[in-house]
Amino acid sequence: MSRLAQGLVLLLLGGAVLRISAFTTEYLNYVKPGFRPFLIAAGAVVFALGVITLVQEWRRPQDTGREPSRWTEAADGRGGHAGGRPDGREDGHAGEHGGGHAAGPTGGHAGGYGDGHGHDHSRGPRVAWLMCLPVCAIFLVAPPALGSFAAARDDVAPPPPPREVAEGYEPLRGDGPIAMPIGEFVGRAWGDAKRSLAGKQVRLTGFVVRSKQPDVWYVARMQLNCCAADAFALKVAVRGAPAPPENTWVEVTGVWIPPRSDKLPLGTVPPRIRAINVTKVPRPVEPYE
Amino acid sequence: MSDKALLDWPAETDDPVPPASWGRRSPAAPLLPWVFAGLVVALVAGRALLAPYLTAPALQTWSTIFVAICVQALPFLVLGVLLSAAITALVPPSFWTRALPRRPYAAVPVAGAAGAVLPGCECASVPVASGLMARGVTPAAALAFLLASPAINPVVLVATAVAFPGRPEMVVARFAASLVVAVLAGWLWLRFGRAEWLRVPRASSERGWRAFVAAMRHDLLHAGGFLVVGGIAAATLNVLVPRSWLAAVAEIGWLSVLVLALLAVVLSICSEADAFVAASLTAFSPTAKLAFLVVGPMVDLKLIALQAGTFGRSFAARFVPLTLTLAIGVSAVTGWVLL
Repeated sequence: MSRLAQGLVLLLLGGAVLRISAFTTEYLNYVKPGFRPFLIAAGAVVFALGVITLVQEWRRPQDTGREPSRWTEAADGRGGHAGGRPDGREDGHAGEHGGGHAAGPTGGHAGGYGDGHGHDHSRGPRVAWLMCLPVCAIFLVAPPALGSFAAARDDVAPPPPPREVAEGYEPLRGDGPIAMPIGEFVGRAWGDAKRSLAGKQVRLTGFVVRSKQPDVWYVARMQLNCCAADAFALKVAVRGAPAPPENTWVEVTGVWIPPRSDKLPLGTVPPRIRAINVTKVPRPVEPYE
Repeated sequence: MSDKALLDWPAETDDPVPPASWGRRSPAAPLLPWVFAGLVVALVAGRALLAPYLTAPALQTWSTIFVAICVQALPFLVLGVLLSAAITALVPPSFWTRALPRRPYAAVPVAGAAGAVLPGCECASVPVASGLMARGVTPAAALAFLLASPAINPVVLVATAVAFPGRPEMVVARFAASLVVAVLAGWLWLRFGRAEWLRVPRASSERGWRAFVAAMRHDLLHAGGFLVVGGIAAATLNVLVPRSWLAAVAEIGWLSVLVLALLAVVLSICSEADAFVAASLTAFSPTAKLAFLVVGPMVDLKLIALQAGTFGRSFAARFVPLTLTLAIGVSAVTGWVLL
């Protein structure tokens, strides 16, 4: 990997990260909202590193001619040998840089990628080409927020973090439907001894997940802790309304159906809601809870 | 300085002269920018042309998780690479010999405890440990730092305390178990490890701005490439293995510890978030959750890829099983004593 290619790969990666974080809200499909400044900073650093690399490459003295400059670069990058012999083998034995690892069978010079690290700094590692892969994924697949496919993989959501339960829930006030996150609904349904949901109209926003049972479907939302890799599904079973197409974003207004028995352990059956009204809504900017 | 080396190049080298890579550059140099320009156009146009067709749910879920792992790890990787480049290029080597105890057996626990000051996750610690080794720190001590720092730094401990409210013993157990594993692994490596297993990264003797940029570019490209390898593996397993399989084994004590330890390896969750995931696995015993928290920052798929890439495969093949065994064993004992 030549230095030019290194600079260009860095430029691509930094550009892609800046694109999803600084210029659009696509980063919300992958990480929590609070992550944005870190992403912008990281993207800017990577982008700047690419620019610096290209500028250095541009300015590199060409007077020695192209091929000799190859060696200049090689000796330059190997460092640790100021004025030394550019023969990796002998230097290795001299123990000039401890371990003598650069003295692989191919020697330390530019021709030998060797075991992956016995190389100089100007020839970048070949594995770095893989960094184009997330860039291609971001641009070509444009990965959407996790939806019904991911939600359907977990049969039942784990109970919400115990924090909310420990603090207890405020009683619900006001008339008319109360909008609440699905996580709060699940938490109140499972963890609230005062049964604050009983008889209240609530409004939940989420996407549609099909169920195996015929007259039930789920309204679901993925919850993130850090990034989409640790997302899990929060699901509420909807009764009393026909199922919209899978993955549609909907607002469900309805009333909690208390479980028939209190003996079921938490997390085995999703809480249920009897739908009064189901409306299609556009996908929220922040798709996760 | 290097022009001299160029002139002194010995003719008797038995590598092929000219080496195979010699001819490559001349055609590539003018061509490459155009290839990349074409790629950028293809990427921008490709979104409009291709994205509507690449809609298989499994592919989309896979790529979302894959991109999420890469995107989430990148800031930490950049932080680690910045620190590592600063260590190799800006801090004089003599600093480390003065800062750490001279005797290696004493340096290991000191380096492990020093991990508490690096606020980051495991992606940051690999380049930093590599930079420390390059600066002449005993490899075993740098390894203790590598293992301890992602698990015992303040950010991670606060996250753990938030995820387990009213259970400070979980934070204590995580801190103690992680530090013990790190120190034990360092000592074992010191006693039994061989120099040829470990590829100690070489530091350039140059200092200053140019060396800083060169070190940073190299580390970032290298670690970034292996991060992608780990991201591919983690995303694939994440999509293929349904988590409901876990519920079945949660009841059996010793098996649940093993299962959560393996889950931590597979999921490759950032150590700053893993406490929340552990807390959500309510069916499992506290000891099993502790194993999840201790193993995760030390051994996971993206970390294995990063370590193999940075320190060599023969290192990873020995160090990863050692760490995994120690982590499971120590968390089982700690859980039994503390939780």
